[in-house]
Amino acid sequence: MGLSVNNITKKFGDYTAVDELSFELSSRGVFALLGTNGAGKTTSIRIILGMLSAESGEVLWDGKPFLAAERPVGYLAEERGLYPKIRVIEQLLYFCTLKGMKRADAMKSLDYWFDRLSVSEHKNKRADQLSKGNQQKIQLIAALAPDPELLILDEPLSGLDPVNAELFKSVIREEIKKDKFIIMSSHQMTTIEEFCRDIVILNKGKTVLKGNLNEIKKSHGRVKLTVKTEGDISKMASECGLSVAEETPNGSSFNVRSEEQAHKLLNMIIAAKIPLIRYELREPSLQELFIESVGAENEN
Amino acid sequence: MRTKGWQQIFRFTFVQHIKTKSFIIGTIIMCVFVAAVAVLSNILPAVLSDRDNDPSGGSAVVSPEFDRIVIYDDGQILEDEDYSLIESLAGKTELPSVSADDTEKELLNTEKALAVTHITAQTDDEGTVIGYSVQTKYSAAAGSDAADYLNSILTQTIERRNLINLGVPSEDYEKTQISIYSTRVEAGKDELSFVKSAMNYFVPIVVSLVLFIFIYTYGTLVAQSIANEKTGRVMELLLTSVRPLAVVVGKVLAMGLVSFGQFAFLGIVGAAAFAISAPFGWMKTAMSGTGAASFGELSSLVSAGALAEDQSELGEFVNELSSAFSVGNILLIILVFVLGFLFFALLAALVGASVSRTEDLQQAMQPYALTGVLGMYLAYSPVIFNAGSLDTGEAVTNPVQIFSYYFPISSPFALPSAIMLGTLSPLEITFAVVILAVAVILAAVIVSKVYEAIILHNGSRLKISDIIKLAVRK
Repeated sequence: MGLSVNNITKKFGDYTAVDELSFELSSRGVFALLGTNGAGKTTSIRIILGMLSAESGEVLWDGKPFLAAERPVGYLAEERGLYPKIRVIEQLLYFCTLKGMKRADAMKSLDYWFDRLSVSEHKNKRADQLSKGNQQKIQLIAALAPDPELLILDEPLSGLDPVNAELFKSVIREEIKKDKFIIMSSHQMTTIEEFCRDIVILNKGKTVLKGNLNEIKKSHGRVKLTVKTEGDISKMASECGLSVAEETPNGSSFNVRSEEQAHKLLNMIIAAKIPLIRYELREPSLQELFIESVGAENEN
Repeated sequence: MRTKGWQQIFRFTFVQHIKTKSFIIGTIIMCVFVAAVAVLSNILPAVLSDRDNDPSGGSAVVSPEFDRIVIYDDGQILEDEDYSLIESLAGKTELPSVSADDTEKELLNTEKALAVTHITAQTDDEGTVIGYSVQTKYSAAAGSDAADYLNSILTQTIERRNLINLGVPSEDYEKTQISIYSTRVEAGKDELSFVKSAMNYFVPIVVSLVLFIFIYTYGTLVAQSIANEKTGRVMELLLTSVRPLAVVVGKVLAMGLVSFGQFAFLGIVGAAAFAISAPFGWMKTAMSGTGAASFGELSSLVSAGALAEDQSELGEFVNELSSAFSVGNILLIILVFVLGFLFFALLAALVGASVSRTEDLQQAMQPYALTGVLGMYLAYSPVIFNAGSLDTGEAVTNPVQIFSYYFPISSPFALPSAIMLGTLSPLEITFAVVILAVAVILAAVIVSKVYEAIILHNGSRLKISDIIKLAVRK
């Protein structure tokens, strides 16, 4: 059940844009396709959607070859595109009917989304009369209105102001609640972390990390320690074998090898009666995992 | 199915195109132009004919007359009788009293219609006259038409005097002026009339030009539309719903319908304008020519074929038009138009898909434009290369002309006129149409294979060699 991407490879001349990419969306939820700029995220999405052919590998849906043009797939492309001189309502109706919707159903769905994204007053305007943010909303409507089972959002939040970003996030949360298969691509880890269940991190076309995000975090353990005190603890930290990774107004950050190492430092601070303001031992964030994976790969 | 969804693309493209201001304004301008040409071509000959026949004189054509004609007869051919004749036809003549240079200076300063003519004898080595030259210089008030007229009078007068000097009685001169009409006719064919010859000249020019405009222009719009969707990133959205081939099919057919619809609409407008203005144009002329007392009577004569049998140019014109636009011919021409449009539009679609930036389109279209222009010029070949046979209706033997009927790049522009004029036999036409249809199928197969590979190509413009390599690889 769901989408399977098996060993897809895509080359442009001598350059390998995607190298043996494999992952599965066996259950509903958000799958994050992550990577730096040029890592191969958009190329992978285009191959999944059948717009580009891969040199090798296959994309299956429920075990059969997946053809995006033959099932409703909602797609928000990274490079947004609308007909600039055509009225918003006309082009959205066109996109919906191309997805096989009847005109009346499309109209009903569009009215809901115009209202939900607060763009009802713009539906009779030409696309080139809208602001960039509103054009992005129209594109999101084009992806959501046919109520697709599979939703592919390529950099959905890029270029949005905080208010509209929050609006998009709330819509994505609603779609998750509707039990959709969602593939989300981004290089902004902090904004995507709250949604995704499974991840693939790509670097120069290669998969550098993949799996369930929680399990990946657990496998790393609580290795991120942040301590803020009113006194100097650098000597104690060195005695525990820790060195400061980052110094911020929120305190000193350390990478610990085990929780015992962190507890030892805490005991030493308490014994020395140094006033403690903050002590946080946590799993690495997606951003930290990403930098660690991509950084290690690039060093290699 | 690879073309599933083409109907929606077809409908959207068609509706959006006919709603554009440029299409509406362009169609209105062309309608006005076509209607004006139809009305003028109908009414103008009748109006000019009325003026020529006006018994009151009015602005009827009169022979131009000079105030003074000074003749320097260096060849000493003219006699007093000749001067009187010239005077009666062209104006007051006088013998030179001053040098030719002085008289010619007067031409520049006078406001009168004045001419200075030199008649010079040309002789051989033995002094025998072998010809005469007549040179007339004229004042601005006289004008070139009057000078030409005077020259023709003088030429005829010299010819007349020469014959008289050779012993022909002056009263028999008119008898030497009978006209002699010569033609050549290929065995088994009828002699061509002026109307038929004129149609042979003008139909290929007009038809190939009109078809080129419609087929080429709308092919270009297909390329533009695809390039705009590609560079505007709408194509990515479309391709999540339909296969690339559906986009090509929908767009090509939509633009084909727009093109054909506009073509047919302009034809109807032209025909309506011609019909509405007919009572003031050709019908009026025909009534006076046939003696019909009313339009009803004239219509009876036309339907009875009386006009077609009439040997007058009008009758023949009606006859030629009705055979050129027979139902069978119209259907064949529509078929050729559709096939020609599909052929060029499919090529244009490939060009549109090969660019990633709209500004590259113009450069990418150059080979397409050259192909279209080459096709149109080949379609002109009956006029350019084989003008002689147009006069006589001889069999088509010029290889370029024959090539133009069968070569898919030129046949969409050349075949319709050949169908209208009956230049090719039904078998030859069938063969040419089959070749064109095969070329369209071949183009569709190549496009269907290559288009999917290049539609999302980004970066530098694909060259023809790249596209050919892709086609071969596929």
